[in-house]
Amino acid sequence: MEAVMKPELELYDRREFFGVVTKTAAILGLAGAAEAGAPGPGTANPFAYDISRFQKTDPKLIAYEEVTRWPVPHKEARRLAVGPDDQLYVCAGNYINSLSRAGQRGLELALAGPACCVAVAGDGTIFAGLRDHIEVFDARGARAARWESPDPKTWFTGLAAGGKDVFAADSVKLAVLRYDRAGKIVGRIGQKNAERNVPGFVVPSPFLDVILHRDGLLRVNNPGRHQVEAYTLDGDLEGAWGKPTAATGGFCGCCNPIALAALPDGRIVTCEKGIPRVKIYSAAGEFESVVAGAESFPENALACNDLNDCVHGGLDAAVDSGGRVYILDLVAGDVRVMQRKG
Amino acid sequence: MDSQPLSDSPVTRRQFLRNGARLLTMTGLGVAAGALATRSTGAAWVWQLDPAKCLHCGNCATHCVLEQSAVKCVQAYAMCGYCQLCTGFFPPEPNALTTAAENQLCPTAAIQRTYVEDPYYQYSIDEQLCIGCAKCVEGCARFGNGSLFLQIRHDRCRNCNECAIARACPGDAFRRVPVDHPYLLKNVNR
Repeated sequence: MEAVMKPELELYDRREFFGVVTKTAAILGLAGAAEAGAPGPGTANPFAYDISRFQKTDPKLIAYEEVTRWPVPHKEARRLAVGPDDQLYVCAGNYINSLSRAGQRGLELALAGPACCVAVAGDGTIFAGLRDHIEVFDARGARAARWESPDPKTWFTGLAAGGKDVFAADSVKLAVLRYDRAGKIVGRIGQKNAERNVPGFVVPSPFLDVILHRDGLLRVNNPGRHQVEAYTLDGDLEGAWGKPTAATGGFCGCCNPIALAALPDGRIVTCEKGIPRVKIYSAAGEFESVVAGAESFPENALACNDLNDCVHGGLDAAVDSGGRVYILDLVAGDVRVMQRKG
Repeated sequence: MDSQPLSDSPVTRRQFLRNGARLLTMTGLGVAAGALATRSTGAAWVWQLDPAKCLHCGNCATHCVLEQSAVKCVQAYAMCGYCQLCTGFFPPEPNALTTAAENQLCPTAAIQRTYVEDPYYQYSIDEQLCIGCAKCVEGCARFGNGSLFLQIRHDRCRNCNECAIARACPGDAFRRVPVDHPYLLKNVNR
């Protein structure tokens, strides 16, 4: 008579048993590998680079609030500028787009290469700075001229347009080129010259900017010296201010500020990388307030987001006639509209 | 049902065992030949750290099986800004821009600062002192050009079958690379 196992004693057959054992072993093995590979809970990095105390902005210093935010029309945003009609012009990818005060897209200029910088003159002429030359467009967007740089290694990173002159900041040749409206180079500003007491620009990464101030002088950032310098249009150094410190009142890291703008009353807006922040100084260089602190740019933590090229981090700023500050976040790819509180 | 008599089966037991022995012998010879060929040409792959994925976590300094990690900081001089205030060399708020120990970010003083001309300084790594902690890498990437980065040095690395640092890396930055291209270096596009 064949023996029959009691139901409560019936186990798996051989195939089922090996299947269960194999699955269990696999699960335990994966869990063990994950446990071994992961850092232990609460294990702090003994070599941590801690700048957390500098990334908090005293709320009493923040004088602006964000009104709205617009995405940039294309990827790889680099610069922005405000035109005479308070239209915003944004360089992103191989394009320059105009945005209205309400953020609506208007003109789109397609360029032969990456748009590095832009400036708009009072008559609406648009100057688009590519890496090694400048393209000129009329107010309707029709291409009018192409201005070459005298040096093949030029890297234009800032433009400013006046009534008679256009100023182009070259971050590789360490000079601001002065063009007349016909595209002829009529001067070089900021090159090292002991006789003229000009120390020269120190630009470790391609962030050299220039603005034409209401007082008739140029303002140029000198990031390696942590200064903002004032030059006459003929290249005489009239003064400089700024100090290296990670604290809110100075310029942090190795090389800041990276971008400049001017408020209608002459105060200067500065942008920094590393501890990304936008601040306001008086025309004489006294720290006043913060437009946006590091807390506003969490994605902008590293200056260098590209393995081989450090231009894809940082901020830029522009100001319209009403004093609104537009901040371009190169990493997040958006434009933030900031208005003074109260 | 009639079962087939053993004398009519196509393969006898002796033939089966003989064929099996031949198969095992040939397989063994093949494995031996392959092992010898591999040994003569050396390992084809080595471990390397991808700087694009490195999170500067410090595990390279603490998880290598060697007493002093095989991971070292290297300098891409073509990318370096030669800054007077190098954030890979100095802590965030140095007392002074000097080489005094209190002013150095590196816990082992492995970075050598050499004056070039005003206001430029050269920064080079002493690999005898470097422990691969990535503190300077974080400082350089945060504020500077990111010219300092970590790499496994193959004159030190044991090329473990399972790299202990790779297992601990939170950024999954370690991978195998061909031995004839053992480094993943940064370049500069300027």
